[in-house]
Parts: sequence; C-alpha cells; structure tokens
Amino acid sequence: MMTYIVFILSVIFVVSFVGFSSKPSPIYGGLVLIVSGGVGCGIIMNFGGSFLGLMVFLIYLGGMLVVFGYTTAMATEQYPEVWVSNTTVMGVFLLGLLMEVMLVLYVLKSEEVGVVFKFSGVGDWAIYDTGDSGVFSEEIMGVAALYSYGAWVVIVTGWSLFVGVLVILEVTRGD
Amino acid sequence: MNPLIFTTILMTVLLGTMIVMMSSHWLMIWIGFEMNLLAIIPILMKKYNPRTMEASTKYFLTQATASMLLMMAIIINLMHSGQWTITKVFNPTASIIMTSALAMKLGLTPFHFWVPEVTQGISLTSGLILLTWQKLAPMSILYQISPSINLNILLTMAVLSILVGGWGGLNQTQLRKIMAYSSIAHMGWMTAVLVYNPTLTMLNMLIYIMMTLTMFMLFIHSSSTTTLSLSHTWNKTPLTTTLILITLLSMGGLPPLSGFMPKWMIIQELTKNNSIILPTLMAIMALLNLYFYMRLTYSTSLTMFPSTNNMKMKWQFETKRITLLPPLIVMSSLLLPLTPMLSILD
Repeated sequence: MMTYIVFILSVIFVVSFVGFSSKPSPIYGGLVLIVSGGVGCGIIMNFGGSFLGLMVFLIYLGGMLVVFGYTTAMATEQYPEVWVSNTTVMGVFLLGLLMEVMLVLYVLKSEEVGVVFKFSGVGDWAIYDTGDSGVFSEEIMGVAALYSYGAWVVIVTGWSLFVGVLVILEVTRGD
Repeated sequence: MNPLIFTTILMTVLLGTMIVMMSSHWLMIWIGFEMNLLAIIPILMKKYNPRTMEASTKYFLTQATASMLLMMAIIINLMHSGQWTITKVFNPTASIIMTSALAMKLGLTPFHFWVPEVTQGISLTSGLILLTWQKLAPMSILYQISPSINLNILLTMAVLSILVGGWGGLNQTQLRKIMAYSSIAHMGWMTAVLVYNPTLTMLNMLIYIMMTLTMFMLFIHSSSTTTLSLSHTWNKTPLTTTLILITLLSMGGLPPLSGFMPKWMIIQELTKNNSIILPTLMAIMALLNLYFYMRLTYSTSLTMFPSTNNMKMKWQFETKRITLLPPLIVMSSLLLPLTPMLSILD
C-alpha cells in the first residue's frame, strides 16, 4: 500500500474537493478544506518537499483557514446546510463521488490511461527513489531561489495579495 | 472611492497588463491576468447599485473560468515540453484549450455572452476601460502563440464573432450594448488574420482602440447612454454630431476614413493566402455592423429625431472637458493616407 500512497492521497484530495464544491454551508466547506490541506501536505511530502508541506499546515491551515473559520462562525446561520440536507447538494456530491470512483476503477483496471495526457496506470503514481540529487534537498533550494533569482515573483505575488485585500475591502465597503 | 485607493487600483490594472505583455514565464502571465482581473472589479463597481454588482460578478466569473482554462493549458504544455517559456505551445490539446481560454477573455463567439451584459451594467468610463485596455493582454498572448494556434478553431470563432457582432447589434438602442457588439465584431476581424499576419492584428487593435476611445469619449461628453439621448446632441453641442458621424462611419470601415485601413489590409492578406470565400463573407457581415452605425448617425446627425418639445432642451451639468478628444478624432478618421507607412513594420 505504501507504494501507492500518493494515489490514495490524491483520491482523498479529489473527494474532499468535491465535498466543498457541492456547496454546503461554509463551515462544512472549511472542514473538508482542512482535510484536503492535510492530504495535500501528505502528497507534497511524499515527493520530498517536507518544508513545503509544513508551510501548508502552518500558513494555510493554521493561518488562513483559522481566520476563515472565525469569520464564517461569525456569519453563520441557524441551520447550516450539510451535504445530506439539501437534495441538490447531495446530488452534486454523489455525482462527483461517482465520477471519481469511475476514474479510479479505470486507472486501476487498465494498463494505460489516456484522458488528456497518457499515464500508465497506477504505476505512475508510485515514487521511486531515482537519481541522487546530492547533498542538498531540491525544494529548499527552490525556496532559496525564489528569494534570490525570483525576487520579481515575490514582488508581483506580494503586490497581488496586497491589492487583493484592497479590492475586497473596497468592494464590501459599499458607498 | 478614496482617490489614493482608486489610483492604486488603476495602476494595478495597468501593472497586470504590463506583466502579461512582458513576461516570458507562463506562470507570471497567469499572475498578471489574475492581478488585472482582481483590480478591475472595483473599477467596474464604481457606482454601488445592484446592476453594477451583477455586471462585475458576471465579468469575474467568466474571466476566472478563462484563467483556470489557461492554467490547465499551461500545465499540459509543461507536461509535454518540460519548460515554461512562451515560445510556442508544444501540444495541440494545450493549444486548443489556451485558444479557448483567451477567446473567453476577449469575448469571441461562442464565449461572447458576457460582453453586452457586462458593458451595459457599468458606467461609460468603466466600459471604456473594459472594451479597450482589457483586450490588450489576451491579444498579446495570442500574438505570441500565433504560430501554434489551430487554424480551424480560430477562424471559426472569428467568423462567428463577426456574424454575432453584426447581427446582435441590430436590435439595440442602448449605446453601451452597441459598443459591446461592435467590440465582438472587431475582435473577430483581429483574430481572423492572426495566423496569417499577426502584425495586422496589432494594427487593427491599435485603430480599433483609437476609434472606440473616441466613441466613448463622445458619449461621455454628451452624457448619453441611449440612442434617444444621443439624438439630442444637436441641441447641446452641434459640433459633436458631425464628429459622431465621422467616427461611426470610420468604425464601420468606410473608405476615406482610417477604419478602412485594417479591413483593407486584412482582406488583402487573406486573399494573398488563397482564401477568397472567407474575406468575402467577412466583408458582407461587416455590413451588418455598418447598418447599425448608420442608424445611429441617421438619428443623431442627419435628422432631428422625433421627441416631445420639452425633451429638446437637454439638461446638463457643466460641460466635461476632454482634452484628448480632438487628437483622437483626427487620428480615428484621417489616418488612411498613411497606409504606405505600414511597410516599416517589416
């Protein structure tokens, strides 16, 4: 099972995305976001990026999602919608689940899957320890490169986030 | 809106488009599109009524979907080529998805449905920015990937856009919707020649922006958003009736005016490449555009539109002074003799 751990985690990832895309109340959306964040962290860590996985947990789940949870708790309604309370929500959730199950069966059964790009069954999802990248870890080098060669990226993304906050405040401020 | 915040957000719109136009990394292009989209939402919502909020929401939804499609095409391209530079798109699937995403951003058929509704719901100045500046970024990306675009898809979308832009504008009396359908048709002309000679796409874009700027500024000057309101400009500023006449006929592509230059060059380029039915169809469908421009000029400059007597005095605040208007009017009507200068673009 451990060789296919990335595949299993990716299935749980997609299922939790279906869970919040079928639009229950935001509290329950936040719940599956936590699950998907944790599982996504697991996927990244299996590719060797332990630092980035920790980033996901600390900043995404521990910072942004906590704030989201608090604001949703302030704005919640008396009877929030669960997945089973509304026929539409349940229908969409089941539809998403069904499509994911069919895709998983297709991947498991056939040798090669060619939807938009070809990948050879479940074998592609397993991580083999190929090639030795030396003494350093690739993803830490990537983060270091972001702050040295990629300074422009930092400036642009920082400015986008800042303007995002400005825009949201401006839009909700009203007249 | 607080002037400082407004300036910051407007500069971010400019910055977003600049990042799209000058980046060589696909991810930065995507970030530029998102920055552009995010920052233009409060500009579209300058007045806080449900109409503008609905228009901004529609714009946001369609453009966000297009950005998602663009990201998917970028990732498929990355999978098949292993690199992020924009020289060419290596996979046909990625190319088709990217073309569709950029067509959604531009408002080409079959993704044109948001253009009239969004343009109608926002103020004239916001509509101006929407129909001119926002077309620069997707068109620059189309220009850069033009060698690898699937010809059939692009030409189908272009011809259908010209048809829809002409046909859809026929029943409109609201000026902003007329400009929106005119934008759809012009985008169709621009993308039709993209695969054959992308320089002409840029030429058409330039002249289209000049003419649309002129038209919107004339509308802003006379504060009119409907045909009826525009038909009272003879009372307010008689000179602008003539200017509206000239600019509208230039937009329709009539010969001695500059609007004829891009259409002429595009038809010439298409016939040089042995396609004759296509430019004939395009030219015929441009007549539909010309029809509703002429209807506007008929009601505005050529006749006194019927109205009750107490509507003839048009209420106005003090006249807006638009400094850029005279040079724009000159450029959007008198540029045709400069056509031989296009040879410097080689």
